[in-house]
Amino acid sequence: MIEVRNLTKRYGPHVAVDDISFQVTKGEVVGFLGPNGAGKSTTMNILTGYLSATVGDVYVDGTNILEEPEAVKRRMGYLPESPPIYGEMTVREYLRFVCRIKKVPKREVKDRIEQGLHRVGIAEVYNRLVGNLSKGYRQRVGLAQALMGNPDILVLDEPTAGLDPKQIIEIRDLIRSLGADYTVILSSHILPEVSEICPRVMIINDGRIVADGDPATLAGDLFDASQVVITAVADEAKARDAVSGLRGISRIEILPAGESGTTEMLIESEKDRDLRRDIFAAFSAKQVPLIGLRVKNATLEEIFLELTSGVKEADVTEVDT
Amino acid sequence: MIAIMIREFRTYFQTPVGYVFMGLFLLVAGFFFTFGNLMNNSSYYTSFLGNILFLYLFAVPLLTMRLLSEERRQRTDQLLLTSPITVVDIVLGKFFAAMLVFLVTLLVTVLYAVVVGIFGDLAVWQTVGGYIGFALLGSSFIALGILVSAVSENQVSAAFFTFFALLFIWFLNLVKTVAPTDPTASTIFAAALVLGLAGFFFANTKSWIASGAVVLLGAAAIVVLHLLHPPFFNGLIPDVLDWFSLLDRYDGFTLGLLKLQEVVFYLSFTSIFLFVTIRMVEKRRWA
Repeated sequence: MIEVRNLTKRYGPHVAVDDISFQVTKGEVVGFLGPNGAGKSTTMNILTGYLSATVGDVYVDGTNILEEPEAVKRRMGYLPESPPIYGEMTVREYLRFVCRIKKVPKREVKDRIEQGLHRVGIAEVYNRLVGNLSKGYRQRVGLAQALMGNPDILVLDEPTAGLDPKQIIEIRDLIRSLGADYTVILSSHILPEVSEICPRVMIINDGRIVADGDPATLAGDLFDASQVVITAVADEAKARDAVSGLRGISRIEILPAGESGTTEMLIESEKDRDLRRDIFAAFSAKQVPLIGLRVKNATLEEIFLELTSGVKEADVTEVDT
Repeated sequence: MIAIMIREFRTYFQTPVGYVFMGLFLLVAGFFFTFGNLMNNSSYYTSFLGNILFLYLFAVPLLTMRLLSEERRQRTDQLLLTSPITVVDIVLGKFFAAMLVFLVTLLVTVLYAVVVGIFGDLAVWQTVGGYIGFALLGSSFIALGILVSAVSENQVSAAFFTFFALLFIWFLNLVKTVAPTDPTASTIFAAALVLGLAGFFFANTKSWIASGAVVLLGAAAIVVLHLLHPPFFNGLIPDVLDWFSLLDRYDGFTLGLLKLQEVVFYLSFTSIFLFVTIRMVEKRRWA
């Protein structure tokens, strides 16, 4: 449905987006994840036609946004990082205005606004000035704005930024429900948010896509069951002794124990080798109670940090040499 | 375009700007009418319009300062530019909204003319001509103000620079009368124009060849004109300044002369400013 080819955006010598290509199919909910300044907003601004790319093209169902901007813009609803609201208008006036510039047929305006109000839950502030609303409501008004044109695609830039925890949960639920009806692209620098809402995550750093996939696969791709953390009721020597007979262990590390009288130990095996059964058998043979055994799973957080900081370091060395 | 215009027009009266503009304009206009016409028992109405021309200096920046600068500062331009409307719609909508506020205000002053008409001899056609000229001049200035607003970061600097741009137009008339008319000064002036044009080319194309070609062509044109048609350089500076003199052309209207060329002049000035504004807004997306 959306195809982005070799998108590059330069601001003078600074490269904000560096040769990004990806596709989004109809009905997908995609999350852009990246630290601040990674190029998420710039990419979204280009997708929606607010900015023009230095190089590269955006196609929506085969239509180039530069060639037929109006046709493509009709199909998109955009909530930028700061909701584009006019403080001096009431919610009603504002949504009417949005309907007019989104070319909503006159007959449908009333219904469209009615539906939007209920969908995002702002019916109770309908007659208030947008400028007097709280941040959470403004965000919702911005979201209602994005829905007004009855688009196929919703582009939401940091939809939960600056909200309190309760509002964040509400907006997330709202986006999840929208995901059933729209193709959604959202961005965030908050991991749990993206992994919770989006079945597909693209990690963007320094203007490049460094990872693309569903959160679980991303975690699985980078880490496997070769790292196991165990907790045994024994001192360190005894625990080491218990696993000494096992083959295929490449590294053992003692971790700070949680409970007194126990030892927590990280056992790393060779790649793609699952030692969990062997470890259990070894401890049981030595009659050492094993009270915890788990695979050290990479959270998306770790992948994120590894990917983003890794690229950073590479860049630094490039600059040095 | 209509939607943008209506929203903008309402905004003038949802914020103090519209009231301040109307209040200021009508207060000063009323002052001049009272002291110039009523107290003097004068029915010479077009002199009244000529006297309040200076109001543009203060009124136009008020009217136009917010139009595009504030959209960008508030990030609402993201809504406008990602909607299925064109930049032409946006700029024209804003222009017509400002014109509407201006014309409604101007319409109030028609009451003064009616008063003169009832109690004295009103030169009807001169007055109508004066109003048409006044409105046309206003449209040029408003278009200029919108252009300044498009390139300003906030409304205060937009107002400030619009004021100075208008002041510059006012001074153009003075400069014209004292500008040197001898051929040497004219040649230097022509050379400066050519260099300016070349600089503009270079800024836009970054091509030394294109800008070099402009310099060569310009130099050649100056030499050829010197050889073939020397009188061209007599009074060149005032002539060129004349093209840009918006105020001078207003005089004809107060005499009741509605000359097509003057009307076309004002309308083209307005169109050029609006066109450049549209280009500026579009260019920003590529920056």
